[in-house]
Formats: sequence, structure tokens, C-alpha cells
Amino acid sequence: MSSPPLLEVDRLVMHYVTEKGEVSAVEDVSFSLKKGEALGLVGESGCGKTSIAMSLLRLQADNAVFKSGEIRLNGENLLALPEDEMRRHRWKDIAMVFQGAMNAWNPVYRVGDQIREALDLHFRPRLSDAEVTERISRLFEMVGLNPAMANRYPHEFSGGMRQRAIIAMALSCDPSIIIADEPTTALDVIVQDQILQELKKIQEELGMAIIYISHDIAVIAEVTDTIGIMYAGKLVELGPTVEVFARPKHPYAYLLLSSTPSVTGPRRKLAPLEGEPPNLLNPPTGCRFHPRCPYATERCSIDEPPMEVVGDGHQVACWNWQEVPVTISQEARP
Amino acid sequence: MTRYVVRRLAQMVLLFVVFLTVTWFLLYALPGDIVKQKFATNPNIPPEARQVAIERLGLDKPVLIQFRDYMINFFQLDFGLSFNQYPRKVSDIIAERLPRTIVLFLTALVSYYYAGFLAGKYLAWRRGKRGEMVVTIGGVGLYTVFYPWFALMAIWLFAAELGWLPISKFLNPDEWRNAPFTANQVFIRLFMTVLAVSVFMAAVVLLANRIRDHRPRTFAKLGGVALGVVLFIWYWWGTAGGALMRPYAGDIAEHLILPVAVLTAVNFAGIMLLTRSSMLETMREDFILTARAKGLSERAVRDRHAARTALLPVTTSLVLAVATVIDGGILTETVFSWPGMGEVLVTSVSNEDIPLALASFSFIGIMALVGHFLVDILYGVLDPRIRVGG
Repeated sequence: MSSPPLLEVDRLVMHYVTEKGEVSAVEDVSFSLKKGEALGLVGESGCGKTSIAMSLLRLQADNAVFKSGEIRLNGENLLALPEDEMRRHRWKDIAMVFQGAMNAWNPVYRVGDQIREALDLHFRPRLSDAEVTERISRLFEMVGLNPAMANRYPHEFSGGMRQRAIIAMALSCDPSIIIADEPTTALDVIVQDQILQELKKIQEELGMAIIYISHDIAVIAEVTDTIGIMYAGKLVELGPTVEVFARPKHPYAYLLLSSTPSVTGPRRKLAPLEGEPPNLLNPPTGCRFHPRCPYATERCSIDEPPMEVVGDGHQVACWNWQEVPVTISQEARP
Repeated sequence: MTRYVVRRLAQMVLLFVVFLTVTWFLLYALPGDIVKQKFATNPNIPPEARQVAIERLGLDKPVLIQFRDYMINFFQLDFGLSFNQYPRKVSDIIAERLPRTIVLFLTALVSYYYAGFLAGKYLAWRRGKRGEMVVTIGGVGLYTVFYPWFALMAIWLFAAELGWLPISKFLNPDEWRNAPFTANQVFIRLFMTVLAVSVFMAAVVLLANRIRDHRPRTFAKLGGVALGVVLFIWYWWGTAGGALMRPYAGDIAEHLILPVAVLTAVNFAGIMLLTRSSMLETMREDFILTARAKGLSERAVRDRHAARTALLPVTTSLVLAVATVIDGGILTETVFSWPGMGEVLVTSVSNEDIPLALASFSFIGIMALVGHFLVDILYGVLDPRIRVGG
């Protein structure tokens, strides 16, 4: 607990400027990441997870505007860096395993050459051909691929192999942080599990920090130490994974867990989460979840709840968190 | 791969026979009595020679026999005699015109494709900036301009007023009076040296792609291209034959500048818009994001990832356009007094010079077939996904 944070996202506000107005995609989000920590961000589609991931690499869309806040890597504010300095941090410090990893490879170049591109860019002095080949072979072995595959083109890989190769590429420059944005969404369940387990093993071996982003809370639960629940551009609950799963404090987290079936726990009736996430062009006043929240009071529609510490490293943004029952949690545990 | 090539070649031959048959019957079905019109009452041919000519051309035989004879002769590379320039051989007329047309239009084609590709790449990258509007409006403006007028204005300005470039024709007759070569020899030599160098470069690049290590591969490619250029210079400056012919080649090159420039100005916008849309599509792909996330500079992302992949449709259109090079362009050839295949095609059809028209159309057909075949092969080289197994 004492090591200083590697990455701090401090009250980040990012909007998308569109013709219809500003979309409040990331609103006052703060979290930090320590060396070797595995953090998960969960939420429905469009809640701002990927916006945050892209902001960390400063690869946000052209119409995105950072309204306020900082992203600090080892104390240095990335949002204030000129573009060419930012480029040096990409992949070297923060690498990414992409959501659409199936298409993350350029179809016209060999996989090994695409990994090499990153190595050539970030290693000074440049690695020799032999060193590059050796490094790529080692990376491929690490992710469970035959090193000879490095001379193949992406279309000769299966979906799972492509994803493994993407992980190898993400590891290639020894980054201190890897962002895994829906790393396994496009894969079948068995391959999904294998890859997640391997990614976790590698991450622990190399002592990297990792940020998992997923809409699938079950995927995240297995591999993270800390979990953040996002709703409509806001981080509504943040805490140790075990704690959040056992005792979710935010009504949204509670309902999300209630709507997820448990494989190992006793049978129970699933409680669907009613309604839809709000339009972020015109977000609800007060707490953004109040129109869908069964525990909402009048205050919730007027005042925005701040993050409140409710346990060891466990924070929640809700006025009425004490109202949320603790009962389903036992069953909802993965 | 070999099996694929053989199968494709067989298909091409079959398709060509069908094409030739249809063209033959279409041309012979033209209204009017060719025998009477061209020979039986032709005052330019002495009466006693008329019957000889008709028999020599086989025009007294039944149509199907004529067709059979034509096909047999065609595949023995005998394209017959011209009706209007009787008894000149069709192959002689085409051999005279073809090199001029190929040199002019191929140069123009390469030039406007290259210009269009560069402009399109720039446009896609600077989308929404002010430069985009200037280039788009300028390019499309030229694309839609009335071409003969534009060409005449260019001749007037650069040749007549400024006197920088020759006004017309493909050579300066004064300089050629005692020339030891015919113009066609020079055209063919120019074409062959450029072709040889291009083939050499392409072969080196293809072979180099097999090298697995990155740096030797890049080195081999660049070295091959440089060596090709050196070979070209060595031929024209270093060897006795090349040096002797060089002033004449230079004269032709000077005459090429204006038509090539005009064709480029008028045609690059189409390629530009094609490249632009292809680039914009590519830039939405995930792998562009990967390239950026790796920390590549915008330029590297654009040239190495976006443009390389966006090249595919442009290449297709280029190779198919090569097929049209041999029919030249009647407008260009007329305005610049450049007697080539375009003129042959138009006059042979309008004057019912059937053997000449047939042979000209056949060459275009062959070029189109070869062009499509080359596109398929090139696609495999450019896009490993389409590479054919076996």
C-alpha cells in the first residue's frame, strides 16, 4: 500500500464536441494504479471505459476535448506533453491490447515485422536483427505461440492466435502498464479463459500493472485486484475486487451483479436491470443513475453524490449506499 | 500458383477466341458491299489488278470460309492486308504506330497515377483543412475542363508564346534528316530499356521479400532500385549504342513533355479522388489505431500503414488502365499531331478497313485480358491475404 502510484487519473473530464452539443463522456473520474496492480473498469457500452483507455494513450478521437483534470504517469502530466514526447511514452510505458484485436494487425505486413516496428522505435541503440528475432521468439513462447509464426501474415493466424500475438506485441517494449480493452470479447469462451489466465500469469511474472476494460463483470472478477464500476461517464464505485463483489455498495453495482448469473453459487432468480443508460448529450441532474435507481430519493435528482470512503480502499458515490442490501452478494460471487 | 496461372491463361485464350469471333462478325455485318466499294469499282486500282486483289484477300469466298481462314491466319500472326492502304500489311501499319502510342500514353499514365496518388494521400490526411478545398476544386476543375481547348491553350502558352517546348509532332524533322535510325527504332529502344529496368526492379523487390531479416531486406530492395537506375543511365550514357542514339531519344523526350503534362493535369483528379476515398476507408481500420498506439509518427502511420493498404484499389485501376494505353486517345493525338493508334482505330472503322480495325481491336482485347491477369497476380503480391496457394 505504501508504494507511490504509477499512474494517477485525477478528476479527469473529457467531452466530445458534436454538432448536437457536448457529450459528457468522462466526468470527474479519479483512480490510481500501483506497480503490478490489476485494475478492472466495468460498465455498459457507452459508459466511458474506452474513452478513458484512449485518453491514457492520448489517442482520443479528434472531437474529444479534455475539460479539466490530469493523467499523471510517474508524476508527469501526460495531457500537458507535446505530441512527439507523448509518442515516446506510447507502447514503451503504456501498451494496449485492443478491443478489435482481430483487426488490430495490418493485413499486408508480417506479424513479426509489425512487432519489430515498435522495437525499432523504442529501443536506443536499436536492437540488432539477431536480438530482435530472439526477443520476438521469447515473446511468442511466453504467450504460447510457435516462434516460427512470426514470419507469417495475420490472416494465417486464428482469432485466438492473433490475440496472443497482440499480447506479445504489447509486451514487446517492457511497458509498465498494459491496457486490455475488451481483450477477449471476440473469442470463444474456452480460448477467452486460456488467454485471460495467461495474461494474468505473465502480468504477475513481469510485475506489470494492467487495466482491464470490459462490459463483462465475470471476466474482470477473476483477474483483477481492484475494480471500478462506471456508469454514464462517472466512476460510481471503486474498491478491492473481492470487497466489491461481496458487498457492492452502489445500487448500480448491486443491480449489475444481481443481473449476472452465478455458475458456482445456488440457483436464484436474476433481477434484470430496468431502463437504459442516459443520453450523455443531456445527462440527468444530480446522480446520473437516479432515473433507474430503486433507492433514489429527492436529493439524488438534485445533488451529485461525491465519492465517499466506505471501507479499506472502497469508495462509492451514492447518497443512500446504506440502503443497498447485502444479501444477493453471496450468490453473485463468481 | 503454377496451376492457377496455367488455368487463367487457358481461360484467357478461350475468351479471346470468343471476343475475336464476335468482333469479326460484327465488322463483316457492317452495311455496304465491301468488294464492290473497295475493289470492284475502285478507280485507284487498275482494272486488271482488281480481280487479283479480290482473290488475294479471299473476298470471293463464302463468309464462313473467310472467317475460318482469318482465324487460322490470325493465330499464325498473319493479320492480313489493309483494304484502304492495299497492299500494305496490317502488321506493318500497327508496328509503325504502336511504339509511339505506347511511349506517350504509358508515360502519361504513370505520371498522372503517381500525381493522383500523392494528391489523394495528402487530401485524405488533411481532411477538412483549407488545402483540401484548393486541391479538390483545382483537380476536379481540370478534370471537367473541355480537354481539346485546354490542350490548345497549353500549346499556345508553353510552345507558341513562351517557346519553351516544341509545338507538336513527336520529333523535330530537321534534326532527324541524317539520322542513322528511324524514329520507331528509338521509340522501341526507349520503351525496351525502361521496361527492362522496371522488370529488373520488380524482380529484385519480389526476391528481396523472401529475405526474412528486416534490414538486409530493406537494403536489398533499395539496392535493387538504385542498381536499376544506374543500369538505365549506364545504357544511355555509357554504351556506344546508347550514346549514339541519345540525342534522338532526347528529342523525342522533349516532344513528350507537353502532352504528358497536359494529360497529367487533366487526369490526375480521378486517381486522386479514388486514392482519397480508399485512404479514408483504411484510416478507419483498427490497425491504424494500433500503429498510432505503438508511437509511430503521423507520417509513418500515413505512409507505411494507411497508404500501403489503400494502394490496392489504385493498383487495380492502374493496371486496367494500362490496357487502354494502346488505343491512345484520338483527341490527344489530333491536338498534338501525334500519329498513333487512336487515329488508326477511328479511320479504320469509319472507312471500313476491316482487317486493320480487327487487328487493332484484337490488340486492345489482348491488352485488356493481360491487364486483368496482371491485376490478379499483382494483388497477390500486394495483399498477402489473396495470395493463391499451391
